[in-house]
Amino acid sequence: MNAVLRTDEIAAAAPMVARDICQEFEGRRVLDRINLSLPAGSVLGLIGRNGAGKSTLIRIMLGLIQPTSGMARVFDEEALKLSDSAKTRLAYVPQKPDALAWLTAEQMFDFLARFYPRWDAKFAHDTLRRWQIDAGKLLAKLSPGERQRVDIIRALASQPDLLVLDEPAAALDPVARRELLREIATRAGDAGTTVLFSSHIVSDLERVVSHVALLHNDRLLLNCLMDTFRENYARLWLPGEHASLAPKHAMSRRPGKDGSMSLVIERDAGGRWPGADIPGARIDTLGLEDLFVEIAE
Amino acid sequence: MIVLIHMDASILTIQPAAAEPIYRQIVEQLRRLIAGGQLVGGELLPSVRDVAGFHAINPMTVSRAYGLAEAEGLLERQRGKGMVVAAMHKNTHSRTQRLSLLEPQLSALAQQARELELPAEAVLQQLKKLLGE
Repeated sequence: MNAVLRTDEIAAAAPMVARDICQEFEGRRVLDRINLSLPAGSVLGLIGRNGAGKSTLIRIMLGLIQPTSGMARVFDEEALKLSDSAKTRLAYVPQKPDALAWLTAEQMFDFLARFYPRWDAKFAHDTLRRWQIDAGKLLAKLSPGERQRVDIIRALASQPDLLVLDEPAAALDPVARRELLREIATRAGDAGTTVLFSSHIVSDLERVVSHVALLHNDRLLLNCLMDTFRENYARLWLPGEHASLAPKHAMSRRPGKDGSMSLVIERDAGGRWPGADIPGARIDTLGLEDLFVEIAE
Repeated sequence: MIVLIHMDASILTIQPAAAEPIYRQIVEQLRRLIAGGQLVGGELLPSVRDVAGFHAINPMTVSRAYGLAEAEGLLERQRGKGMVVAAMHKNTHSRTQRLSLLEPQLSALAQQARELELPAEAVLQQLKKLLGE
């Protein structure tokens, strides 16, 4: 597979930047030279299969893990040495939150309200009720889904400049999920909140993101504007007798049992689809989910 | 016809999984609604914030769509009010103009019919049935 790597120009003002991040676990490479930057006010969707390293990358970008090499920056500070004031402008919802489990949701919110200058107590209170969470129950006694919902509310109530959500969709039913996406959309517009969220529910991402990044086999295969993706990538199908004429550069290529060939291609500099003039060629537009399957299968 | 003063964001339909970018889905729908007379000159469009919030889509996408529709002359920016349907679109478009809006769908239909080796007559018959003739 020929990887197409798109690297945005790294703007100094970007609230979150990863530069040449490599990560190894016990001698095994899990992230390979990742460059990713979130422009202010952008909503970046990070997709990839389970185990692709999405959570590891997020934790490195937040300075929670030291990468084997490379550097992460948040609000133009080194992520590993983030100042307290930077931390109050940042909210992170891990996949399995476990902090402050000996408190109830209500107690946790009262406690956190002291540290966050923009804490929105009304939002926290109202959303707990709407999302049907018992505010008086110990966090440790909540189900994992409920626990993550509390954490999403906590993150939103702090009104962060940078919001990072790791697989938030798993804990939410469709109505609450839509509500979260609306919050993301309006905050990005009103307050210029920068958002990074990972999900394998691709339809959520397609709706609200401005940018999309695909992590596969330790590398970023795609990193571009969502609209660019839709307009510049397609699936090229070639019949068996002409499969040998397939263009050299493709994001993925998948041979069919009958000798046919299916490739994910990108428009060339002149806006043409490479290989489109091969006899029998078919060009199909590609949704994110199709792309995901083409590459991962 | 009832003239809506403040159009609701629900007048637009968004299909996030469609191959067509969301900003183009919005422009396309505005074209159709205006050509079909459902939207008339001077009508106020929902704000970017309303559309983004209602459909849970990125506000930049909505801004981009409105900007393109403005450049196309479909919409006009009114200071302090927001976007309104351009006055030149007070009258509904001619039949030819409206038909031209179906061009992409008709081309796709024609291509698929050829791929399936269906005779034109059979396709037209089915289409007439769908159109309720």
